[in-house]
Amino acid sequence: MDLSYLFFLSSGLFLGWSLGANDAANIFGTAVGSKMVRFRTIAMVAAVFVILGAVFGGAGTSETLGALGAVNALAGAFMVALSAALAVYFVLRMGVTVSTSQAIVGAIIGWNLYAGKPTDYETLAEICLTWIICPLISGVVAVILYFIIKKLLKYSSMHLLILDQLTRTGLILTAALGAYALGANNIANVVGVFVPSSPFKPVHIGSVLTLNPQQVLFLLGSLAIGAGILTYSKKVIMRLGNSLMRMTPMLALIVVLAQAIVLLLFSSVSLHNWLIAHSLPALPLVPVSSTQAVIGAIVGLGLAKGGRTIDWGIIGKITVGWVAAPLMALGICFVSLFFLANVFNQTVYLP
Amino acid sequence: MFNAKFSLFSGAHELEQKIDEMHDQVLESSLYFKEAFEIYLQEGRSQNYRRASKKIKNIEAKADDLRREIESRLYIRNLIPDLRADVLMLVENIDKVINEFDEVAHKFYIEQPEIPTDFQAKFRLLVKQVCECSENMVICSRAFFRDFATVRDYSRKVYFLEHESDKTWAALKQDVFDSDMELAHKIQLNTLIEDLADVADKAEDCIDAVLIFTIKRDI
Repeated sequence: MDLSYLFFLSSGLFLGWSLGANDAANIFGTAVGSKMVRFRTIAMVAAVFVILGAVFGGAGTSETLGALGAVNALAGAFMVALSAALAVYFVLRMGVTVSTSQAIVGAIIGWNLYAGKPTDYETLAEICLTWIICPLISGVVAVILYFIIKKLLKYSSMHLLILDQLTRTGLILTAALGAYALGANNIANVVGVFVPSSPFKPVHIGSVLTLNPQQVLFLLGSLAIGAGILTYSKKVIMRLGNSLMRMTPMLALIVVLAQAIVLLLFSSVSLHNWLIAHSLPALPLVPVSSTQAVIGAIVGLGLAKGGRTIDWGIIGKITVGWVAAPLMALGICFVSLFFLANVFNQTVYLP
Repeated sequence: MFNAKFSLFSGAHELEQKIDEMHDQVLESSLYFKEAFEIYLQEGRSQNYRRASKKIKNIEAKADDLRREIESRLYIRNLIPDLRADVLMLVENIDKVINEFDEVAHKFYIEQPEIPTDFQAKFRLLVKQVCECSENMVICSRAFFRDFATVRDYSRKVYFLEHESDKTWAALKQDVFDSDMELAHKIQLNTLIEDLADVADKAEDCIDAVLIFTIKRDI
């Protein structure tokens, strides 16, 4: 394998690392912040499941990103991933949570514009629609879970201490599920643009497991996400704390579970095929933002509890960030591709 | 699998038992206090009263040990981190009610107040009310750990009984100071009446806190 490939892939791996560092807070931030679970335990679980999700469940969403724009040159893919990472970085500096999924979509459209390739507007519309329906579905799922769990707790008369133990176990299990869903859904953001130029060959692990070239690429990307979780997410969790809304461990469990369910709905190929086979409306397989899903769930719970706890000013600021991130990524990508092609003489697209 | 499940919940079960035992101590101290007070009215500072008052002292000592054990277990096992401070405060409030029973029983033993026959009925009523108040506090406080609806029901009962004991306390004080007893005797009885009423006040304080903790516990 050409070493230059690994150099170009580094921007994707960097994006993966920052995704792991930032999005881990969505999966187990409150569990660690409230001292219900030790960081080391839950971070290890999340890192393992993020890898499993990416390798075994990541194919569906990367196909959709590919349909939006098949970045066919390695240097172009490098710049698309780097632009998305930079956009995420700048918007985060403005103090607004941001979606890697949106940034990568903006960057791909930037590449399409630069390369003169047509953007599939049907796919784009489908993706943009998910940015609206993802937090909505997440909010609805969270509210349903909230009322079910509230009723169950009311009738179970479970002792506070036993409930505490069950909540801890639940937080670890939902973190595993959330991490699997994050890996499956968001791996396309991290290395999806490198799929068309992937030089990997199938890898056989023993006689039972064979990873195809795409899965090998996803494994590398997910290792970067895992590294982000293990090395930097604790700092992000400690910095953010409960800034969005003060949550009890049980509410945190509901939020993570809602987020995991929504991310799986948007990434499970089997579920997608099953719904279509039964003539039911299927959700598109699109990388959605775990941050948006979490915010949707929190707003849903806030409304279910009377709506007094929601700070609409912060929600407005977040929404502005959601619009700014893809636009910024588009702009950075377009300008950077120009420099990469004309100053560094790199092939950023194949005609 | 069984072992893993067992160890996961065993710490919680042990602590649950300790908290239940702590509540049992309030009930026992209340029952022994009623018994001791009746003995005092009939026999004064007799051997029987001494034994009854000793029982309350032992309960108080056991409750102190339980409180310390619950506190250390909560911290060592890192249980209920979000509600730990609330549970500790609750256990301390329960302990204060037991301490108050012990203090009053001991005061009767040391001071040997003479309770005129005319006042005995009201004294009995006050003791009955404060004991019932503390017993209902136990039901309410236990429910905090399991059943929110019961917390609300029994908190109303505790508030009602505390209010009734306040009325008895005021009437009894008035009777004492309207009587022909010597001022020193009046002041002695007055202090004891206030100490008795304090049991119900402490139970009420405990329930005030439980109601706030219940709001915090709601998901």
